[in-house]
Amino acid sequence: MKRTRWSFWWHLGSLPILLLTLLPVYLMLKISVSPPAEVLTPHPTFGLHHVTGEHWKALLTSGALWPPLLKSLLVATWTMLGAIALAAPAAYAIARLPQRWKYPLLLSFFASRMIPEVGVALPVAVQFLRWGLEDTQLGLALAHLIRTLPFVVWILAGTFETIPVALEESAQVDGCHRLQILWYVVFPLAAPGVAVAALFAWLESWNEFTYALYLSLTENTLPLQTYYYVIRGSWFDAATYATFLAVPVMLITAALQRYLKAGYLMGALKG
Amino acid sequence: MPQKLKHHTLTGLMVLPLFLYLLAFAAVPLFSCVVLSLTDGASNAFPSLDNYRVLFRDDQFGQAFQNTLWLTSLGVSLEVLLGLAVALVLQRLVWGRAFVRAVVLTPLGLPTVVAGVMFIYLFSSTGYVNEFLYRLGLISAPIDWVYGGWRSLGVLLMAELWKVTPVVAFILLAGLESIPETVYEAAAVDGAGAWRQFWHVTLPLLRPSLLMAVVVRAIDAFRVFELPLILTGKSFPVLGTLAYSEYYEYDNPFTSAAAATVLLAIIAACIGGYLFLMTRRPMEGA
Amino acid sequence: MSSRDPRSSILALRSSLLGLLCLVLLLGGRASAGTELSVMMGLGEGEWRVMRERIFPPFEEQHEVKVRAIQAEADQAVKKLVAMHRAGRMRVDLITQDVLRLSSLIDAGVMRDLSEQREAIPPSALPQLIQVGTFDGALYFSPYRPNVQITYYHAEKFAEYGLQPPRTWEELLAVARRFKEAEGVGRVLLHGSLDVNTSIHVMEFIWAAGGDPLLLNDAGSVRAFSFLQQLAPYLAPETRLANWNTTNTFLATEAVYLARNWPFGVNLLVQQAGKTQIKAYHGWQGPLREAHVLGGEVIGIPRGARHPGPAVEFMRYLMSRPVQETLVTALGWPSFRTDAYGMLETWQRPYFAAIQEAVRSAVVRPHVTGWAEVDRALVGAFREIVYGGQPVEPTLARYHQQLQKARQRLR
Repeated sequence: MKRTRWSFWWHLGSLPILLLTLLPVYLMLKISVSPPAEVLTPHPTFGLHHVTGEHWKALLTSGALWPPLLKSLLVATWTMLGAIALAAPAAYAIARLPQRWKYPLLLSFFASRMIPEVGVALPVAVQFLRWGLEDTQLGLALAHLIRTLPFVVWILAGTFETIPVALEESAQVDGCHRLQILWYVVFPLAAPGVAVAALFAWLESWNEFTYALYLSLTENTLPLQTYYYVIRGSWFDAATYATFLAVPVMLITAALQRYLKAGYLMGALKG
Repeated sequence: MPQKLKHHTLTGLMVLPLFLYLLAFAAVPLFSCVVLSLTDGASNAFPSLDNYRVLFRDDQFGQAFQNTLWLTSLGVSLEVLLGLAVALVLQRLVWGRAFVRAVVLTPLGLPTVVAGVMFIYLFSSTGYVNEFLYRLGLISAPIDWVYGGWRSLGVLLMAELWKVTPVVAFILLAGLESIPETVYEAAAVDGAGAWRQFWHVTLPLLRPSLLMAVVVRAIDAFRVFELPLILTGKSFPVLGTLAYSEYYEYDNPFTSAAAATVLLAIIAACIGGYLFLMTRRPMEGA
Repeated sequence: MSSRDPRSSILALRSSLLGLLCLVLLLGGRASAGTELSVMMGLGEGEWRVMRERIFPPFEEQHEVKVRAIQAEADQAVKKLVAMHRAGRMRVDLITQDVLRLSSLIDAGVMRDLSEQREAIPPSALPQLIQVGTFDGALYFSPYRPNVQITYYHAEKFAEYGLQPPRTWEELLAVARRFKEAEGVGRVLLHGSLDVNTSIHVMEFIWAAGGDPLLLNDAGSVRAFSFLQQLAPYLAPETRLANWNTTNTFLATEAVYLARNWPFGVNLLVQQAGKTQIKAYHGWQGPLREAHVLGGEVIGIPRGARHPGPAVEFMRYLMSRPVQETLVTALGWPSFRTDAYGMLETWQRPYFAAIQEAVRSAVVRPHVTGWAEVDRALVGAFREIVYGGQPVEPTLARYHQQLQKARQRLR
């Protein structure tokens, strides 16, 4: 009853949300296809009047497009794998702990997320250099894990908590030993939560800037390359690169968002 | 008895890699950072409060300190409010639900730097916002958005909101969707209108989600770095950019570490205090 | 969602990741064919294009090496080189470095002594550029290209108001005031971004008044800062964001009509953006003289470089006349050799003339340890006096104290 009465206003409310979210992307797109005269003027235009492909052509032939993209993709994937590999066993163990251990432990892991990167990146960079890890994907992934692990542990601990111990116990009664239980009973049930955590870890690494700034020498990641275009590029480089990234990324996020069922986070919240 | 020991051993082994990793890559560098901040740059004497003395005397530091606090407090509050509004809209949508959800979540996939680029073009002195206001006849001379002070704060808040609200909305949506319909029905039977339902039913039940959203966001908001770096530069310093410029421009890793340690102290104090306050009061209406 | 679905999706995920792993191992294990010379420079996209298309290939063919380019801004370059040097893993063979960022490299002992290469420097070289690469009598950097800031102005707007590009400080103040009164907003720009860009502009004003930036409270400095304070209300608001990069944007969008900046903007503004109404001249004169900070780049070879032989060859190559002439023609960079004549296009000539005129008043920044502290003092004084409107003499006295103390500690 209530729903249909307010429904119109709620639906109307979605319009400004859509507009505000999409407006910056549209403007980037517009700049990337505009001739200089339309942008480099005291009064720029909003619509698409003259369209030119010169900026896109310059970007695509510069050869500086794909390496950062590839590096970011790979580092994000390593981070995601590492995060799950390190966090899942720990989260499972923590989820089965008595309450008084659980919360402080999770909180202490979370404390490591409080560290400002600008302070830590320097010692990390120096150490990585000694280990020969500077400018490698592995090194950057390891640094990204610092940021990602606490939150992933939190989500996974919450996920594992929602799996009743009774299920495991009944499997044990049926004669399965520990590892079998983990593999065949726990993991499938936890898979949606793991997927959310993995996606989160991937996004965090993809987005990360500060560690990359301190730890990259010859190959930029995506955010670093964007930064380079901001401080060194011509006016259109930054906008064109931003559009080049924004449009496919937004399409992919839009496609993937259906897997991000909000309910998967509930486990973490109840913790 | 041996079963329990085996259980604990297994537990310990499962937690160990994570623990070791965080020890090596989080605890040790953090410790180095704090030690560095207490080392005198010229004479390498330890401990020494000299770096802090230099830092506190610099009036850029005072600016940065204030700016960081303002940006975080206003930012997190607005993000939660806006996120709640967006989550409410998303929950109640019937037509085009998937589409709106998809659009709202898209800024999540964009690196913050890219989002910053967008806002540079929007808020430059010959940018689109000024042009829009000019065409509406509201202004005749361009507004200087990055003069520092409240206007820069506003620009940074808008950029951050654009990028971050999806996360908050997502967390709050999870909380909203977990409230069973029966609770609302019971309240309606008791004669509660829409607003009262919201205030006395929804919000209290949403408390864990709100708490999580605030904590998650606050930790990240204090460390804001990329957006001020590219949008406002030195005219709106924050502790993150101050630590960075101390190291890169003034070649002083010691004061850089000091600024970072101050930031860490602020974060720890605020999060600790907030959690302490929030988890003391019992939950109402559960 | 049946319990099977997550399993199969996990399987799919795992196999695709395995595939990715193989891909990475394949990509990662690039076999290096022949010698690879790692060269670190700080350039924009257009400049890299010229390097990749015209400068690198002849050298690569002749010496059978592959040039691997590493982009790094001057500050970043210093940090990375020092870090690599300390770890004993120098992975860069040759650098071109901003002349204003050399001391840190020398202090950290990163650079190789190039004194034996002195004979490779042609007699037609600009002596200031050799001077700037010499520390304690030893040559650490070979000259590459000099650079000075020129003053851009919007010819149409100046004509509209019947103004001439200012030649003295008084004229500069008059022009700034006229624009502000006529348009309601300042149109004259200085690099007020409160970093090293600002300290360069401030130094130029101090030198033009006969002051010493290392002292800060002498008569010339007081005069310079007093003038800047007078100028402050008429400066463009964009000054707060103006550095060597953003200034071009402000000129191109016609947000400012007069600005001093490095000459690379000429290509961007006139060639790319088609703003032919933006012209340039050498700049204004202070009470004592005209002064420009000598910028530019020099070539150095780090210690522990893996391919020092080819690096030295490349250094000579970069200093050679044909390459210098290409740099002049393609990038509009003035050469350090007076015998290198580029084939300038017609539209380039007036700007080039402005650069050469300005080089005549170029002043070399003295080699002193702790320029970071001097920058900090200059920037702080600028912030308080120009933005904050603080009284000139007391503020400068305070910064003088601060600077003396800081420099003493570093000694």
